[in-house]
Amino acid sequence: MADLSTNLAGIRSPNPFWLASAPPTNTGYQVQRAFEAGWGGAVWKTLGDPIINTSSRFAAVSFNGQRVAGFNNIELITDRPLDVNLKEIYETKKRFPNHAIIASLMVEPKQEKWHEIVKRVEDVGVDGLELNFGCPHGMAERGMGAASGQQPDLVEAQTHWAKEVATTPVIVKLTPNITDITVVARHAVRGGADAISMINTINSLAGVDIHTWNTIPHVGGQGAHGGYCGPAVKPIALNMVAECARHADIGVPISGIGGISTWQDVVEFMLMGATGVQVCTAVMHHGFRIVEDMIDGLSNYLDEKGLASVEELIGRSVQKYSNWGDLNLNYQVVARINEDNCINCNKCHIACEDASHQCIDMLTNADGKSVLQVREEDCVGCNLCSIVCPVDGAIDMVAIENDLPPMTWNERQRTIASLNDAYNVEVM
Amino acid sequence: MSAFAEFEQEKQQIDAILAQGYTIAAIQENLDGALLHFIQASSHAERTQLQILTADARKYVTTLLFARQTQLAPG
Ligand SMILES: Cc1cc2nc3c(=O)[nH]c(=O)nc-3n(C[C@H](O)[C@H](O)[C@H](O)COP(=O)(O)O)c2cc1C
Ligand code: SF4
Ligand code: SF4
Repeated sequence: MADLSTNLAGIRSPNPFWLASAPPTNTGYQVQRAFEAGWGGAVWKTLGDPIINTSSRFAAVSFNGQRVAGFNNIELITDRPLDVNLKEIYETKKRFPNHAIIASLMVEPKQEKWHEIVKRVEDVGVDGLELNFGCPHGMAERGMGAASGQQPDLVEAQTHWAKEVATTPVIVKLTPNITDITVVARHAVRGGADAISMINTINSLAGVDIHTWNTIPHVGGQGAHGGYCGPAVKPIALNMVAECARHADIGVPISGIGGISTWQDVVEFMLMGATGVQVCTAVMHHGFRIVEDMIDGLSNYLDEKGLASVEELIGRSVQKYSNWGDLNLNYQVVARINEDNCINCNKCHIACEDASHQCIDMLTNADGKSVLQVREEDCVGCNLCSIVCPVDGAIDMVAIENDLPPMTWNERQRTIASLNDAYNVEVM
Repeated sequence: MSAFAEFEQEKQQIDAILAQGYTIAAIQENLDGALLHFIQASSHAERTQLQILTADARKYVTTLLFARQTQLAPG
């Protein structure tokens, strides 16, 4: 069986599955049960300046019968006393010395505040710290969380203050509520971050009740923006992880978070550069035991791939992720409909006709049966028909050998520029 | 007309000009596509132009040039 253990900037864990800082890591009781279930690590519910939560704080977006496609919350950090949390962290660490316990921290952007909390939590024996610069609501209004996480200089300064006294590795948790996450990531690294984690939740409003006109959720008729997470945010999180992983000036390990619910999601995040992952919504939806399938699935996958360690996955797809201008314009795929599998539902024809390039013809075959056929020379290979097709294997997207040299947009533009340079521009 | 037929028509126009001994001297991209400037390979005096519209023709013509340039490039 492959070795699942990981080492994120010196934080060792029996497997890459950590609970993210959130309700499932609120107490020692929960974290200990999670470790018994198989989780390798836990980032404790964020500790920091005292808060008070509202009642009615979660909402979810269901889509076509899939419950919790996205999850929205207006919860803040822990509302329990620091001392109680620290006692429970100490007891949990004593019971599970080989599991990773990371303390998530959030205080006002002041040097003495960071020094105080870092010293207090490290005294009880945590394996690492995660600085929460991501919480998008409530704390932000007090200058913490996403408010400071959106200011690269504040991220750098606060990371530096934490690092001044920290003796364990410092992970900086980034907010996705920003235009370019690599800017903040670079400042975290400049401040001395040993690792970065992403993403925290995305600013959101889950919905509006069209009968009462109240927001969802609402607190006695009033709403406020919350943070979005769960399966719907996975593509956004994966891109942010990949952008950081491929950035030459970042270069620290990444803990991937956002919409992870299966072992396949974990593999994807690790291939895109994550050293390990954190999970929140999937556990809130299904409970701690989902980790059993994750462990089994990942182990079997690694064995099938002939990999001895999960760490061999880290970053293996990063070099395959580049800029649009570096993609080969002469690469060509076309759609091919497999008549044997097609159930003649017509969805592909409608999609291509109404929203793509009008190249799926409806024909009648020799038996008088209507069949669909792609005019391959007009097909631009957009993939839309295969996306909407309800039957696996009814449409294949096939790469065409066209003998053309690979040429990117950037190469094309350089070719035109050098041609024009050599020409007598007066005639142009 | 199908997109492929539109491309084929423009490709044939380009190929016909090249077959007359012209080479592509410059490409001016504009909102309608690209204006191709050709010169006679032998005399350099004779010039002609062709406005192409389709994306595939614009790709075709630059692929020809790119292939030529990469072949000519040293190393
Ligand atoms: C109800 C709730 C509370 C959360 N509280 C915290 C928190 O205290 N500190 C923190 O860093 N992130 C917090 N998060 C964000 C999660 O740790 C995680 O970054 C986010 O939910 C994305 O992961 P997911 O898609 O697996 O849920 C919270 C998320 C939810 C849903
Ligand atoms: S890949 Fe796009 S263009 Fe080609 S047949 Fe399908 S929908 Fe039409
Ligand atoms: S969408 Fe799929 S199943 Fe439906 S007609 Fe097209 S190929 Fe057949």
